[in-house]
Amino acid sequence: MLTLSELQYDALGEIFNIGVGRAAASLSQIVNDEVQLNAPAVSLIHIEQASRLLHSSELQQFSSVSQTFSGPFVAQALLVFPESNALEIVRLMVGPHMSIDEVSEFEQEAMCEIGNIILNACMSSLADIFHISFSSTLPLHRFGDAENLPVLEGDEDQMVLLLQVDMVISQQHIQGHILFLLSVASMHSLVACLDDYLKAQGLY
Amino acid sequence: MPEKLGNASLSMVIDNLETGVVILDREQRILHSNRWLALRSGISSETLSGQQFTEAFPEAANTRLEQAIRHATHDRLPSLLSPALHGTLLPLYQTADDIRRARRMMQMIHVMPLQDDSAASCLIQISDMTANISRERLLRQQTENLRRTTTQDRLTGVANRRQFDETLSLEFAKARKSRLPLGLVIVDIDFFSAYNTHYGREQGDARLIEIAALLNTVARPGIDLVARYGGDEFALILPDQDENQVAGKAEHIRSGMLNLNIAHTSGIDEQLTVSVGATIMAPEGEAEADTHTLLSSADVALYQAKNDGRNRAIFFSLGDGGFRPC
Repeated sequence: MLTLSELQYDALGEIFNIGVGRAAASLSQIVNDEVQLNAPAVSLIHIEQASRLLHSSELQQFSSVSQTFSGPFVAQALLVFPESNALEIVRLMVGPHMSIDEVSEFEQEAMCEIGNIILNACMSSLADIFHISFSSTLPLHRFGDAENLPVLEGDEDQMVLLLQVDMVISQQHIQGHILFLLSVASMHSLVACLDDYLKAQGLY
Repeated sequence: MPEKLGNASLSMVIDNLETGVVILDREQRILHSNRWLALRSGISSETLSGQQFTEAFPEAANTRLEQAIRHATHDRLPSLLSPALHGTLLPLYQTADDIRRARRMMQMIHVMPLQDDSAASCLIQISDMTANISRERLLRQQTENLRRTTTQDRLTGVANRRQFDETLSLEFAKARKSRLPLGLVIVDIDFFSAYNTHYGREQGDARLIEIAALLNTVARPGIDLVARYGGDEFALILPDQDENQVAGKAEHIRSGMLNLNIAHTSGIDEQLTVSVGATIMAPEGEAEADTHTLLSSADVALYQAKNDGRNRAIFFSLGDGGFRPC
């Protein structure tokens, strides 16, 4: 299996943190309050490990927002929060008039937009730094258990770039993950872009 | 081979869509907008044409919509603006009357990059979500009404027995987990059936409402629960309170009732009074801790208050099995 060097991990971590930083600025503007986003850890894992990670989670219900980005490489991006965390985010952003058991379309759309902001920001940060461009589908939001996550529908050879996401909103800490599902070929293309960038920086 | 649609036909189709359409070039100037938008914004397509989007709609400047347009024209990425987070971002109205009342429609906006070789670079689609949102509001309100009717006592507005049972087990579990004591007070009106017989049921109902109000003055909002426990019995759940605090509240209820000074010819000293039983339990400390034990301890205290001659507040200690006046 493909592995990444520490230098490559650091660079990816930095690029994604620029992305989530921009997303935090957009979210802050929407709610007129400071929203902080951090992506403290990046790892490259096999799709099986990713599904095991989600299955082993204490909370079995998830909220996921997905978009497929196509360019020099194709990545299915998924922002995954345990359902209760997702509802907490929406509650903090939209207002407190919602109880946990009734999630209407209204809140689902809000979650879809929040995911859209975060995923677009991560991918446009990659695009800016690598000087490439992507097209993307519109975001799709789903609630469901781990079985229903699109991550488990992909073919077995896929690799997953996993990003931990820490969100702070109204003093509440909320944790989730971003998963980028890539085929082996796409993963190699991503690494090639990364290496070009590192070379251009004089780091290789 | 069917004939292909010409540009004029396509433009007519766009004009007839039941959704707002704006097409921008790379510099975010309006290339085309449809009739739906002209009707809802009050600005004709001809006027809009050629204008910078944020010039035509200054409301969009420095908002997520402007960012989304930039994402589409520069990064080629699509965005969704949900009605929950942006709602009435653009000045669009369903009717002339809505314009006068400044009542904007609720909007869902999709901003998509256009990937062809022409000048068109970004497509904005706006959907009217007003009806969906009022429907959801109505549903939410009905849910809330339903919740209230199943958990509230109709006459007094305090929690009903069902809500009391639910809250008691919930607070009991919380107290056990947090190792904090849980207090319970039961209030019974003295000689209430005689009062009803003598003064009539309507007067009796009025007294029940007054007593519920009195209990509400003792309860901490959002923490304690006041419930109508039976016909003329009320209960108060008091989380995280020690013996003195619980006894203090019980006595406060008894003396508060006396201060209301309600005449009752066959009552104690010709007044309407209450008997009060109070207790606390530290669920993690007691071997046989359950809600049943807590309830019967408060009941035992209440019977003692009745036996001692009514118009009394008695505390029962589970620890030593003793009674004391509050």
